[in-house]
Parts: sequence; C-alpha cells; structure tokens
Amino acid sequence: MQQLILGLRDGSLFALVALGLVIIHRTTGVLNFAYGHMGMFAAYITFSCYAFFGFPLLLAIFMGLLFAVILGMLTEKFLLRPIRNLSNSSMLIITLGMLMTLEGTALWIWKQDTRQLPNLINGKPLIVNLGETFLVITQQDLLIFILTAIIVFGTFFYLKYTKVGLAVRASSQNEEAAKLMGIPVGGVYGFAWGFGVALSALAAILAAPKTYVHPNMMVDLQIQGLTAAVLGGFDSLPGAIVGGLLLGVIEQFVGEWISAELKLAVALIIIIVLLLIKPSGILGRSSKRRV
Amino acid sequence: MLKLNDVKLKYGYVEALKGINLEVKEGSITALLGANGAGKSTTLRAISGLNHIYSGEIIFLDQVIQNRSTDYIVKQGIIHCPEGRKLFPDLSVYENLLTGAYVLTDKERVKENLERVYTLFPILNERRKQMAGTLSGGEQQMLAVGRSLMADPKLLMLDEPSLGLAPIIFEQIFDTLIELKKAGTTIFLVEQNANAALHISDYAYILEVGKIPLEGPASELLKNDQVKQKYLGG
Repeated sequence: MQQLILGLRDGSLFALVALGLVIIHRTTGVLNFAYGHMGMFAAYITFSCYAFFGFPLLLAIFMGLLFAVILGMLTEKFLLRPIRNLSNSSMLIITLGMLMTLEGTALWIWKQDTRQLPNLINGKPLIVNLGETFLVITQQDLLIFILTAIIVFGTFFYLKYTKVGLAVRASSQNEEAAKLMGIPVGGVYGFAWGFGVALSALAAILAAPKTYVHPNMMVDLQIQGLTAAVLGGFDSLPGAIVGGLLLGVIEQFVGEWISAELKLAVALIIIIVLLLIKPSGILGRSSKRRV
Repeated sequence: MLKLNDVKLKYGYVEALKGINLEVKEGSITALLGANGAGKSTTLRAISGLNHIYSGEIIFLDQVIQNRSTDYIVKQGIIHCPEGRKLFPDLSVYENLLTGAYVLTDKERVKENLERVYTLFPILNERRKQMAGTLSGGEQQMLAVGRSLMADPKLLMLDEPSLGLAPIIFEQIFDTLIELKKAGTTIFLVEQNANAALHISDYAYILEVGKIPLEGPASELLKNDQVKQKYLGG
C-alpha cells in the first residue's frame, strides 16, 4: 500500500514528462531528446527570476513557462521545419545537438553549483495512517498529483472538443490532407512544441525542490518519461498517463524489494523488454506509421 | 476563373511540368486527362501550393497565387480533393467533415454546409460517429468529396475521384458533380477514365508527359480520332 501511494506520487511526475514527449512526437513525428534539458533551462530561468531579480515565485514560474513555450516554438520553426522533408533521424540529431548546446550553455551561465527552488506550497504534510506504518505526503507532492490530473484532463478535452484540437489531431494523422483543408500545419506544429516543452518546464520546476536546479537535473526524468511513453504506446495520451503511473509504482516496488540503486535501470530494462514483446505498448495500436 | 500560364515545375532534376497553359472557366466542369505519370496530380499540387513552380504564373480570380502557402490558397476558395482520398482515419466521419470547414469562421455556415453534405450523401449522416478508417472504399470517397465541399469552395479540384470504385458508386459521385455544377460550383476534374470525364465536362485538356498537346470542348474531343485511339479504347 505504501509503495503504491509513493509510486503514484512519483508516477504523476513521470506522466507529466511523458505527456509532453508524446504530444510532440505524435503531432510532428519527432522524438525530442532535448526535451528534459529544455525544461531544465526553463527551471534555471525561473530560478534566476526568483533568486537574482527578486520576482515573486509565481511570476518567476510564469517566466520560466513562457520561456519554454518560446524555446519550443523557435526550435520547431527555425531548426526542425526547414528540414522536415529530410528523414526523422536528421531531426533526432538536431534535438541531440540541442541537448548538448543547452547543457553547455547552462553550465556556462550558471556554473556547476546546484541551485535551489522552493516548494510551491509549504504546509503541514498529509499523514496517512496505514496501520503498521505512517505515510507522509508533502503538500508539494499532492500539488503535483492534482496539477497533473488537471493538465491531463484539460489537454484531453482541449484536443477533443476545440477547433485547434481538431487541427492538431488532423495534422498528426495526415499532414498533407490537413494542409489541403486550409489548416496552417506549421502553426500547429509550433503549438505542439510550445505546449510540450512547457510541460517539461513545469515538471522541472515542480521537481526542482527535490532534485535541485542543476544542468543534469532532468536526465533521470527524461529517461523515466520516455519509458512511461513507450509503456503507454508512445502515441497515446492516456497511454502516457497510465505508463507514467505504472512506472512509478514499479520503481517503488523494485526499490523496496530489490535495491534503490536499480530503480532507473529498471526503467531501461522495461523499455527493452517491452520493445521485444509488445512494441505497440499497453494502449498503443500496432505499427501505425506516419506517412 | 483559374489560369495557368506556362507553368513549369521540377522534382529534383526531373521536369514534371514543361510549360502548362490552361484555363478553367467559371461555372464549368473542366477536365484534365492523361495517362499515369503525365503530370495530372502535379498540376493540381502546383495550383494548391503543395509543390512550388519555378517558372510561370497561376492566376485565380485576378490574383497571382503561385507558390503561396496552401492555407492561403484554400482561403481564396480553392479546394483540392487529393488522389487516394487522404482522409483522417482516426477521426470520425463528422470530425473529418469539420476539418473541411476549418477556414470558415461562421458557425451557422458550417452547420448549413454539413446539412448539405448529409443531404448529398445520406450514408455519411448514418455513419457520422464511425471512424473514417472503417468505412468502405465508396463511402470513403464520398467522405473525401463531402469534406471538400464543407468550405463552400469556389473552385473544386478533384484528383481521380473514380479510382477503385464500383460502377454504381462511381456514377453516384459523377452525378453529384453535375448537381454541384448546377448549384454554381466550378469543377476542375483530373481523371484517367477519359470517357466518363468527357461525358460530364464542358472543356478538356489532354496532358502528356508534362505538356498539353491537345485541348477542346469535351464533345469534340469525344469524336477526335487521336483521343479515341489513345484514351477511349479505340
């Protein structure tokens, strides 16, 4: 029971990371390797606004998210759109380049030191009595869980019931047909990138009180988010959520029964095993290739 | 309404269109006929802005439109219904139709157009909640045509609407085209089935490897010996 609750707590962060990865991949066909680092950079922006310039925390967070949206859209427009007619692997290389550039730049600006961001809310932790043990859940953890839920449902309804959502879904299914219906596909891709990267930034900012702000703060989360996405089928939004929560729980049980050091390795083992036995993931559909 | 002046287009080093001149008159059905690989689809792709031309001019309603973005060209009133339907398989029939109305801002007009499409193709109304990917070939073609009508196009360009259809459905689609023409839509029809196309169109162009060697009123082309031999099966 304890593992389950702790697993869901970690898993909701994985799900948040996975959601953005999946939105970008499913809309534009690009797997964004720089995804976590983009969030890291946005966390640094928030940190700078907060600690150096003395902005109120919420405004600083807003600045970080705004930065992420702009970064995502610029990356799409100036680095990826010009090479859309090339293969997906060239775009993958571009995101790898982004990853290294962002890491180097962050080191250059903010140095090696770990920095700190405060919790969004501090308050009496929630204490759950489980009979033999007590479980302490901080309000920040609770906030992450609730925010993830809101974002997940919000995204789902937005994509399902609005005109922009329809344009996003249409563009992801057939780019050319979407163009022929008058949908500005470039704008749709920019939207997906801006929104996706903002989710990574949000995850980074929410995780920062625990991980600290550091150039490599999102490396683990990127891997876990990727695993969650693969678990869920990679192109399925509900899949990303289920995958994230499931991975959180699995990691908790591994940490409890085997070894805490193995937690991350498990994520990678899951990817390999899943790709071998069920490449389409839990909620994904079998081999639907983008044309 | 639509005019192409000496339009040239290359795919890499291959010249696909070697100087196309043609005109689609308002209120007509104009056909572009030719064998596979003659450049029929390429011509449509050049008009709708999917491929850029390197020389020549495309004029629609006195405006130069070549090499503009596709969404701009759609907003001017040209809809291109692509070869092979190109539906959105995981959207419902209803949602597919809505994508066709993307450029419309007036919700009332979207509703009216939806009603009109459902009246033209009642089967689409019956299946409106079904995913487009699960429809039969004929239903998919109806959906593709229906989707193209959702934005009230001034000029409707259809690429091989007859491809792979059973004769009954084929006739139904062509009857719809005649009805659309009566209602005032101008149609530019690309077809391999020259016989059927010539019977419903006013004027036609024959395309051969990127050039137009022959054109004329459809009724005359039907009697032309060269056309008979090459495109109408003797």
